[in-house]
Amino acid sequence: MNVDVSVEYEIDLKEITFCKYELKTVNKRITLSFPQLLQLRNNVIQLTKPESLYDIIDTENFVLLFAADKQHLIYLDIPQLLNLRNTIDSFFYSFKSVSI
Amino acid sequence: MKTAIRKQMTINPVVMDLLNSQIALEMKASASYLAMASWCDQRELINSKSFFYKQAEEEREHAMKIFTFINDNGGAAISPSVENVNNDFESLRAIYETSLEQEINVTESIFKIFKTARKEDDFVTEVFLQWFISEQSEEEDTMRSIIDVFDLMEGMPLKMIDERLPKE
Repeated sequence: MNVDVSVEYEIDLKEITFCKYELKTVNKRITLSFPQLLQLRNNVIQLTKPESLYDIIDTENFVLLFAADKQHLIYLDIPQLLNLRNTIDSFFYSFKSVSI
Repeated sequence: MKTAIRKQMTINPVVMDLLNSQIALEMKASASYLAMASWCDQRELINSKSFFYKQAEEEREHAMKIFTFINDNGGAAISPSVENVNNDFESLRAIYETSLEQEINVTESIFKIFKTARKEDDFVTEVFLQWFISEQSEEEDTMRSIIDVFDLMEGMPLKMIDERLPKE
């Protein structure tokens, strides 16, 4: 089994260099510095709180999210927003080694 | 913490979120003390007004300590919005009782962050929070002592009770 097969995700986040990150969304690739990534993480956490999600569903059913110091605007529907939240969460998740 | 972001941040991201919530809590406490100071100031309760103005400043200093700590360790401190500050009180004693409740909430919140920091092996935050734990213990003790004065001086004129309360 080839474990090196590259999987293409609809939304993806990668570390390019020491302090540059790349966010791939449905229609664009955005380069982010670390503070910009932290700001995006905070915005996404706020938008995916249950009360915010209910508000979004009750109104437009999509969000327009600024990224990279307002240089980019991302259009996301609810599943894409949740997908972005999961992507960012797993990027920040601390993996702890487990002895088997 | 074995992720790409470890190179940028010393503190754990989950702990950082809790610290940001703590900033909001401290700023809310500061605003609340300011409302209490105003209530006392309008009624010429000189010692109490000084005490609450000082408390308002102290809570803001606590918030700022956490704020700079987050940024110094590679995180992103969030400036909070402070809403729903109560400006309406029934008595001076009720104000001090509310203050004690507020301090207890702040202490509990710090304990929660401390536990999370320990769980996530975030030793930097754990050490940083030790000062806050001692500080909260002192704050709670001060409030309890003041409420004791009210119990001892029950029935005395309010101005006389105020004269026996600490200014800071």
